[in-house]
Amino acid sequence: MKKLLLILLTFTILIGCAKDDEFLEPITNEEIPQSLQIKELIGIKLENTIVTDRVAMNVKLPLDGKYRIKIRHGINNELISQEMIEAEEGDNLLRVYVASLDKSGYMIQLTDEFHNVLGNQSFVVN
Amino acid sequence: MKKILLLLVSVMFTLSSYGQSSIDYSPVNTVTQVGDTLIMKFQYFKGDGNDLTLGQLDFEYNNKLLSYVSHESQAPTGASFARNNWTGYKFVPKADSDEDDMDVQYTWWKDEAGANSYETGADWSVERVTIQSASALENGQEFIKYSFKVKDKFGSGYSNYNDIIKVNWANYQESDGTQIQTTRSKDGQDLSGIEGGNAGNFVINLKTANTDNYTDYSYTVKNGVGESVATGTFDESGQASISDLENNVTYTAEANLTEAASYLDEVVTVSDLALVFAEAIGAGSGPSGGSTTFDYFVQDIMADVVGDGGVVDFQDSYEILAYLQGVDSSNTNLITQDGQTEDYSGIASTYGAVANDVVTFAKSFTPIDSDASSKTIDLAHGLVGDVNFSHSYTPVVESGGKSTSARQSSARYSKRDSEDANIDLISEINDEGQVVFSINSDVEGMVGSQFNIVYDPNVLSLENVIFDTGNTMTNFSNIVQNGIVRVGSFDQNFESTVKEGTPYKLIFTPLETIENTSGLISFRVKEGVKADGTKINFIIQ
Repeated sequence: MKKLLLILLTFTILIGCAKDDEFLEPITNEEIPQSLQIKELIGIKLENTIVTDRVAMNVKLPLDGKYRIKIRHGINNELISQEMIEAEEGDNLLRVYVASLDKSGYMIQLTDEFHNVLGNQSFVVN
Repeated sequence: MKKILLLLVSVMFTLSSYGQSSIDYSPVNTVTQVGDTLIMKFQYFKGDGNDLTLGQLDFEYNNKLLSYVSHESQAPTGASFARNNWTGYKFVPKADSDEDDMDVQYTWWKDEAGANSYETGADWSVERVTIQSASALENGQEFIKYSFKVKDKFGSGYSNYNDIIKVNWANYQESDGTQIQTTRSKDGQDLSGIEGGNAGNFVINLKTANTDNYTDYSYTVKNGVGESVATGTFDESGQASISDLENNVTYTAEANLTEAASYLDEVVTVSDLALVFAEAIGAGSGPSGGSTTFDYFVQDIMADVVGDGGVVDFQDSYEILAYLQGVDSSNTNLITQDGQTEDYSGIASTYGAVANDVVTFAKSFTPIDSDASSKTIDLAHGLVGDVNFSHSYTPVVESGGKSTSARQSSARYSKRDSEDANIDLISEINDEGQVVFSINSDVEGMVGSQFNIVYDPNVLSLENVIFDTGNTMTNFSNIVQNGIVRVGSFDQNFESTVKEGTPYKLIFTPLETIENTSGLISFRVKEGVKADGTKINFIIQ
């Protein structure tokens, strides 16, 4: 009995220490806020176009894999920020943090690992 | 017979001219400046042998260009004198007549024109002077002297001072009322060479390489005694329009960059460091240095960050290196950096010229009314430490360039040639939940590189910078300000180069739960420099 309790306790602790996202349920379309829903199979969408601190973002992907999210300057197209994500097929709810960006106009861009553009949207840091 | 007729006509013409008296008007003094007082005399000259006892003259002056001050009768003792004036009228001469024929114009006014002899004209004032004497006036008798203040023609609607006074008619009579034929000495009184006055719209064009940030610059215009007469900031196009300057006055102008600009820590970089090190190694210093590596004398000024009279040596290069490394050298320096600017400015056409072995920044200019080009100046601006002119004006004046012989005497490190190279800068979350920002480069031959990385300090905390640049490079990383870190490498011997691969890796710890890093890390300065001084502009796909 003690052994059984010890096993149960150990299992419970292991579950408690595990990262939450390993247990995230696949996102269904119903869970995506209207403002972030993407009709197409692939794309990128921000919840708001005018942003002050951070903004929710949906990245809809055709396949599991590595993708790049790039932020380019709205005038000269210069790349000023870039991250690599490893994400799953379908909708992926993420965030864009703009607090350290200058107030200006920008373009956020989704590409595959090899820089092929899959979608983009303009936004403004205000 | 023809000859006789011609002679007769000539004699008649001569007699006719000789037979006329005249009204003469001319300045008593010379005026040269707006604000000067012009004194005009109006004078009788006897030309017909008749005795003048009544002299009456009517003239008009341009009240936009002259301001009446006073008058002084010159009538002889015992004569009667009267002066009348009306503002807002202008004489209309008799059509198809000689406007110089004063008695004809008088008769036109008196007997023929009725209400049509004068028309309203806001720019004009009419003066009428009458002198009557029991005895005949002497030849050359002055009637009156007028004093007028010369007004600024700026905004008057007039481009010169021509015909500012015109005598309209004269009524000269003998004691029995006989009209004396009279002419006038000139069509109108002109003034020329009048200096001063408002220079009108004066334009300053700012000349700098920092073209995205013109509005961060201010200007100051001072007069000859150093008093500030105009200040302000440049507009988005780098222009400033000034009014209230005066013609023919010499001013000085200077430009300054605000110390609050957010990008000052991007002005002096590893490329500047390489140039200064190369110059120090070359032992070239000052305008007369024989083995300089610089292209322009003004670079001696910009590179002298310790401020010891334009001497560029290892003190300067190590000061810049210490600055980039974030090391406190305990020296005060003139390096343009966050919260600190050291400005140089001057008229662009002579900016950085050398005279008597001294680099000059001439600032003076003089608006001249007759010279439209003098109403605009190009004002160049540079920053100390910005040796490669990334944010500064590059001199164009011939004497500002270093000599051909000097150019050939050593390698040219200061050339502003640059080349592009692709690199990959990317952030991602690793398995430990840390944010890793990697700088991946396959660029060969870089003796120096620098990256100014901006991050959100409310979300990320910088934990570590991992260098993999090779064993002999001098690496540096320092927090410039909260949320900005400067990372780079430099080999002061110009021998070792930054290793290819991932020479720099920044490790951040998130201060809150994050799923991704978009926007958290961005890059500003990203440049490299080769051993020959070529600047490398990194292009990120």
